Amino acid sequence: MKRVLILVAVAAFAMVAFGQSAKDTFVWQTFGGVDTLDPAMAYDTSSGTILENVYEPLMGYKGDSASEYAPRLATGVTVSQDGKTVTYTLRKGVKFQSGNDFTCKDVAYTIKRDLVTNNPASAIWFLAQPFTGSAANASDALGKDATDADYAKYWKMIDGAVTCPDDYTAVMHLHAADPAFLAKMAFPAAYPIDSKWAIANGAWDGTEATWRKYIGQDGHNTYLNDHASGTGAYQLVSWTPGQRVVLKANENYWGGAPAIKNVLYQIVDDQNARILALKNGDADRISLGSLSALSQVEGLPGVKVYNRNGDLGWTSVTVGAVSMNEKIKADNNPSIGSGKLDGKGIPPDFFTDVHVRKCFNYAFDYQAYIKQVLLGMGNTINFLLPPSFLGYDKNVPEYTFDLEKAAAECKLAWNGQLWSNGMKLVISYNTGNLQRQTVADILKSNLEYLNPKFNVEVRGIAWPDFLAAQRAKELPVYISGWAPDYADPDNYVTTYYDGENGYYAAYEGFNNAQMNQIVRQAATETNPEARKLLYSQAAHLAYDLAPYINLPQQRPMMELRSDVQGVYLNPMYSGQFLWKDISK
Amino acid sequence: MFTFIIRRLLFLPVVFVGVTLGIVLLMQLLSPTQRAASYVTSPQQLANVEAIIKRYHLADPWYVQYWTWLREAAKGNFGYSKVAKMPVLKAIGERFPSTVELALAALLPIVGVGIWFGTAAALNRDKLIDQVTRVMSIVGWSLPTFVLGIWLLVIFYGALNWFTPGQITGKHAIELANEIANGTFHRYTHFLTIDSLLNGRFDIFLDDLKHLVLPVITLAAVSSAQIMRVMRSSLLDALGQDYVRTARSKGLAEVVVNNKHARKNALIPVLTLSGFTIIGLLGGVVITETIFNYPGMGSFIANAATQLDYSSVLAGAVFIAIIVVLANLVVDVLYGLVDPRIRYN
Repeated sequence: MKRVLILVAVAAFAMVAFGQSAKDTFVWQTFGGVDTLDPAMAYDTSSGTILENVYEPLMGYKGDSASEYAPRLATGVTVSQDGKTVTYTLRKGVKFQSGNDFTCKDVAYTIKRDLVTNNPASAIWFLAQPFTGSAANASDALGKDATDADYAKYWKMIDGAVTCPDDYTAVMHLHAADPAFLAKMAFPAAYPIDSKWAIANGAWDGTEATWRKYIGQDGHNTYLNDHASGTGAYQLVSWTPGQRVVLKANENYWGGAPAIKNVLYQIVDDQNARILALKNGDADRISLGSLSALSQVEGLPGVKVYNRNGDLGWTSVTVGAVSMNEKIKADNNPSIGSGKLDGKGIPPDFFTDVHVRKCFNYAFDYQAYIKQVLLGMGNTINFLLPPSFLGYDKNVPEYTFDLEKAAAECKLAWNGQLWSNGMKLVISYNTGNLQRQTVADILKSNLEYLNPKFNVEVRGIAWPDFLAAQRAKELPVYISGWAPDYADPDNYVTTYYDGENGYYAAYEGFNNAQMNQIVRQAATETNPEARKLLYSQAAHLAYDLAPYINLPQQRPMMELRSDVQGVYLNPMYSGQFLWKDISK
Repeated sequence: MFTFIIRRLLFLPVVFVGVTLGIVLLMQLLSPTQRAASYVTSPQQLANVEAIIKRYHLADPWYVQYWTWLREAAKGNFGYSKVAKMPVLKAIGERFPSTVELALAALLPIVGVGIWFGTAAALNRDKLIDQVTRVMSIVGWSLPTFVLGIWLLVIFYGALNWFTPGQITGKHAIELANEIANGTFHRYTHFLTIDSLLNGRFDIFLDDLKHLVLPVITLAAVSSAQIMRVMRSSLLDALGQDYVRTARSKGLAEVVVNNKHARKNALIPVLTLSGFTIIGLLGGVVITETIFNYPGMGSFIANAATQLDYSSVLAGAVFIAIIVVLANLVVDVLYGLVDPRIRYN
């Protein structure tokens, strides 16, 4: 037995391979997983991370800026007076990784393919809007009764979306001016794909004869789902779903071969394993997962936590809110109790009274949330728009935690009935989201402290049930979040404040004519100064109407080995920085 | 024996229809919106739920959905796995070999250690080895896998850096990906151990074995405890039987009595238990796979179930059902070999 043990120990030592990834290799361990490598389908950050290094935009972001653009596959761009014609001058001499030349044909094919497929689970909806005037694909936009003539007309619009006067000039013809157009074109769905290669491998052939077969196509399970041919600094070697993506440097990259030659994007779902890998140098970067694990990473030799104290000035572009539903489903809804203001439930129009919403806004302890949940690493916001975005006005007042004011507002609500009769309220969150659960708990304890007749239940609901209940408008109070698709304030403000077109606004029944008008005017205003003013007006109005409790934002941080050089944060990149810009 | 095996195999289509129909009907308890949840991974997609339901026919009646699925399955198309991000059959083809490697590597220590200690304990009842075995089995039995797994990870990876989690180290993963892409490494069987040997890559073979050490220890510690206990009690039971007394009174040597007469009979319940263990291992071990980042069937099927990945759940359930039927068949056949009293005619 002893001999066996010794043998095992010796064998173990013999097999030891000490960590530290090679100098020209970058290993990033994260959780979740890549969904697809087809730019027309990808809508998650993991897929985005790979795509933004393999493919390239025409005009990309300049360094860490989310508002300035720098030439990539285009050397310049001009927008016509009416904002409806956008002309890109394309870079010459660029080749795809397959060896094919990059020309305007590829730009046109990419955009047209996006507009044709426009799968409802993809990101194409916001790219389709400026080109066709509708977020939906042809069959959803035209409806069941559409005739062949309707489709032919629609095809004409798609076919005319991009024209190529020559190989190196791409002209985009928009349905209406869109101040967010350049930002939308910086999303991976608009990154030119290699048309020759795509068509040769079974993608849509680009003709009118076949386009209808591809409407709404789910790009999973096609060749482009797990193969890539871009112009980017990295080339796909292999993708093993759920485990890893291996990439190598594109030595023919037009911008010069990158310093990092191999990239390993590894999926490691266990947080402990990721932290140990960073410690041992097996990973150069990890996605931490939960903020509470930060203490395990801080102080590890050879590890650097970027922006730990906000020293780099990085700010978050994610916003979160507590929604207060003004049009709760009245019938057969288990979340509103008696459905009356009798202390045993709430009426379906409970939140139409602005005093209730203000009371809730004052009853949320913002600093406690920053302290307990964000461990001190957070900031409050006065509008559901990140402070780094155009139009955020820091002079707009914001709600602070004040139980006296909360009580005063609640006493005014429903002509004093709320205060005298009390309420039974349900706050919902999707299970597994601890941050949201804590938000609900903070609000519950403060509301119940205000008045002993206030009875609040915090209810965790599994994601499928949460989604169904939210869509059925059954949830009186729930917590939501939003991260940007494109770097434009409209992406947030319409979503949260346009009562007819905004996803969250429509679902929570917040519909204010004045607000709708300001938001829509801002969405099409091409003068930045005028836009700023409009968003400031919207923020002031939002303060008065208090449709949401604006949750504090978490400070963005990154955990890397300290020998990685050139790290920056561009909030619009799924991977925060491009691998071509770093070295070790 | 032959007709018995055929009879059992004929049972498979019944299992197939029963399992799949059961799951399809269960899914009907969810509304189309709930079923659409697996397509919605970011708040941005929330606005398109209606279009998603329409696009993926989630509101069709159950028999239409089942018929569509059956028709496609007959053609060999079991659908696309949203969890594995590839066709379901390919996902099983990728993950099952890893699971088999882990299961086979774990089975030997589980059964070997279990039988050895169980036998030693029974033959030395109330002596030191018996006491030690009993403590070991109680500790192993009651130790949660995730606790043991994390301890092992922290000690052997975090502190000593001997064994890394995953199936292969980063360096080898990059090499392997490039070699497969260049056509210099062939994946003949999808079993990494076998393929690395067939390609003459002994370093990758050793690397793969090294990655099996911690998960195998974790699995062996827990599962061998059960076998140890059953072996001990079953052997004690056998040792008190009349035929053992008869064998002894015939003057047979103690070793022969113990090994040939008592232990052989005592092995029957151990065999049953080992059958269940291998079924469990082949079906995947979710916690061990997650902690050690091992790409097996367990985490795949568990994720598919929690994310309502319809195609993966259906195919996964059919696959597990087939394994259960086949593993039971093997165990039943082995009964006949161990115990001459059992015949299937």
